[in-house]
Amino acid sequence: MPRRPNSSRQARTLLAALLDGPGTWRHGYDLSKETGLRSGTLYPLLMRLSEQGLLESRWQEAERPGLPPRHVYRLTAAGLALAREQALEAMAGERAGALA
Amino acid sequence: MNCARPWRLLAVKLAQHAARVVPGARSPWAQAMQHELDYIADDPAALRWAIGCVLASYRARLADRLSFGARTAWRRVAASGALMLLIGFALLDNAGGQTAPPAPRPPVDETTCDLGSPPPVLCRSGCADRLPTEMRGARDDHLKDDSCSSKSKTR
Repeated sequence: MPRRPNSSRQARTLLAALLDGPGTWRHGYDLSKETGLRSGTLYPLLMRLSEQGLLESRWQEAERPGLPPRHVYRLTAAGLALAREQALEAMAGERAGALA
Repeated sequence: MNCARPWRLLAVKLAQHAARVVPGARSPWAQAMQHELDYIADDPAALRWAIGCVLASYRARLADRLSFGARTAWRRVAASGALMLLIGFALLDNAGGQTAPPAPRPPVDETTCDLGSPPPVLCRSGCADRLPTEMRGARDDHLKDDSCSSKSKTR
């Protein structure tokens, strides 16, 4: 049976982190600290989600002078739907595990 | 950015290398990773981040290479197929006259005798003695065989 896309533990963790503040733009380093994913795992995931239309990104001007602009990310409508679906599945799984 | 610290300097160099490795279409992502480095205050954390950047850039490059390889392989297969089709059509056109059934052979002339050429002299009357001895046997065989003479008679 083929594996569902974006169903890896890392992808689910990242989608769950992005779902926490659905409309807010997040930085790569913040996401890395929150999810525990290293940049070598995080950025390929971000690229893939972006190519799939689940994530949108933009450059944000630095708050302090002398610092470069930052790339920020947030879920698209499709990404939000997938993240919510995965969150519901995870909750259902936890409940089933607790009942068993 | 303070590059006086060795860990920080190494991290910056690694991030720059990662930015160079990433294929062109994904260069904004490389820039994003590189810029993020300036927001990490802790040097060892910055170095870990930069190492991750290098890994991510190599993965992106490998993925790009693989997809490019698949595209080129598909192009080669398609070109070979087209070439084979062309060759097939060319052969079909050139072999048009050759594939027709062969022209019918002329009917066998049954009146002719296929026992070989008759002796040069067919003499039924007393001239047989004048034939050389090696030809007399052949002449006699030919005269004894009725098939040729009867065929020619029935026609």
